[in-house]
Amino acid sequence: MTLHQIELSGVNKYYGAYHALRDIDLKIRKGSFVALVGPSGCGKSTLLRSLAGLESISAGDLVIAGTRMNGVPPRKRDLAMVFQSYALYPHMTVEENLTYSLRMRGVGKEEARRKAEEVATTTGLSALLGRYPRELSGGQRQRVAMSRAIIRNPKAFLFDEPLSNLDAALRVHMRKEIRALHDRLGATSVYVTHDQVEAMTMADHVVVMRQGVIEQQGAPLELYDRPANQFVAGFIGSPAMNFVPAQVGADGRSVVLDLGTPHTVALAKSLEAGRVLIVGIRPEHLQLAGEADAGLRLPVGSVESTGAATYVTTATQPELVVVLNSRVSIRPGETLPLHLDPAHLHLFDRETQIRLA
Amino acid sequence: MSIALRDKLMLMVAVLLAAVYLFPLYWMYVTALKTGSAMFASPPSFWPSDPQWSIYGSVWESRNVGRYLWNSFVIASGAVSLIVILGTGCAYVLARYRNAWVDVGLFLILMLQVLPASLMITPIFVGFSQLGLLDYPRVAVILAIAAKSMPFFVVLVRAAFMSVPMELEEAALVDGNSRFGAFFHIVLPLARNGILVSAILIFMQAFGEFVYSKSMIQAIEYQPASVGLNSFMGPNTNEWNNIMAYAAMYVTPILAIFVLLQRRIVSGLTSGALK
Repeated sequence: MTLHQIELSGVNKYYGAYHALRDIDLKIRKGSFVALVGPSGCGKSTLLRSLAGLESISAGDLVIAGTRMNGVPPRKRDLAMVFQSYALYPHMTVEENLTYSLRMRGVGKEEARRKAEEVATTTGLSALLGRYPRELSGGQRQRVAMSRAIIRNPKAFLFDEPLSNLDAALRVHMRKEIRALHDRLGATSVYVTHDQVEAMTMADHVVVMRQGVIEQQGAPLELYDRPANQFVAGFIGSPAMNFVPAQVGADGRSVVLDLGTPHTVALAKSLEAGRVLIVGIRPEHLQLAGEADAGLRLPVGSVESTGAATYVTTATQPELVVVLNSRVSIRPGETLPLHLDPAHLHLFDRETQIRLA
Repeated sequence: MSIALRDKLMLMVAVLLAAVYLFPLYWMYVTALKTGSAMFASPPSFWPSDPQWSIYGSVWESRNVGRYLWNSFVIASGAVSLIVILGTGCAYVLARYRNAWVDVGLFLILMLQVLPASLMITPIFVGFSQLGLLDYPRVAVILAIAAKSMPFFVVLVRAAFMSVPMELEEAALVDGNSRFGAFFHIVLPLARNGILVSAILIFMQAFGEFVYSKSMIQAIEYQPASVGLNSFMGPNTNEWNNIMAYAAMYVTPILAIFVLLQRRIVSGLTSGALK
């Protein structure tokens, strides 16, 4: 048997002339939690629906647990899916919702009831088994949708933005709960979200998509530390990475940032002199420095404090966002002395937007 | 003007309009109970002084109303069954698939709605006669009514299907059901109210159908109540009380259905609005 629970190779999907998925290659290890993330319309939901069999793929191979699944109807794929709208059957009670898939597979009444109670206990729905979906709160509906997926042992769980209808506090809570559930069941999960924080915190493997193409995939911190291109760099991380047009200095060991006025900072390695670049700087990598060792002195535009951190926006063109993890008394108009570790600079080609090795 | 006064005024207007609208119905029931002289009295009285209850029994016997109503019932049920069986599938397809051809189909269906029965009857009559269908006149009328009322049913039921989210079906597919299973298990129960209401409306329409029945059913023993009522009235008719009694017996069952189910019917017609 293969180590991979789901394998996609060369998958393409067209809607008429519209090319929704382009040459998708993706291997999902058994027991891993994979997040598909990207802006709306990037194809992440289409990819998930293709896995489920709700969309057919136009070209390429889809293999689930060692069996080629192109053209196999959803019911024979043995996957469970949690929908964004939960898609609970409104004319069935919670218990009937939970046991629907079991009844479809010919499980006996008693057995199905026993399993429903078992699952309900673990998800805290025991008291609600007799209710109808319309009598539940948003969070409870979400739990029913989750329970409906876990009641059988599918080959993989598919989540289509399951938390987007919950309020912020509940969302953070359910994030942990879903991950804990995944670990406890030893399941394979594919999770679609547009929220990069969800993807980063929940997944072992993050797949960033844009316009039907996988831009980069890898471990969350790998994507954070070494984004393959400017799009991924800007998409992952909050507040977003700062991008500054720049040119390598004449010595090849420094780079001149164009912030309205030129600012020279050191490079960690030497580059071809005069090359034009985009330099990416994460907001937390700009740190307050003493007057003596400040590599960068920037005028302050605005200051916002959340209590735990201070967000400074510089009065430069383009603006830079700086996150300081200390309380500092700075006022707009003052000059901020900053330290920047050359190892933390992200360099991208200005034409191709691809990361320089 | 104060709000309370305006509300009172609006209520008065509504009551007045309802009274005007319902007056013929009232006149039918009242006239049926009047004696011959009271019927033609001038000025007319609005309440029978000597109600003739026996008129219902005698009209039922003499005009064979039972047989007419039975024929109406057979024709209406046949047409509704045919429409529900054929139209439900059609409405589902039109609700779920969106492309240019579906739009063309929908337009044609709505066009069919516009054509009046009196226009359609000639080609239908000629066609049915060549096929030999006129030898089974009630079947012929059932087919003609089904063809005429199908668009109305399809348009209403399509709206009911569209209010069932696609994701519910997809959830059923992933849960292990087939396309057909998902339709019968999930979509049909959720659209049931809309289908039921549309079927009742069509039934009431078909129960009162006249043009096709009058044209295609020659044999008196197969004629429905609408044709029977028409043949009751000649150029020199003066037995209005008997005719009104007949009409009352014909209309009361339909009215009863409507009054009993009106809450459901109204909510069914607007069910597309709520999730």
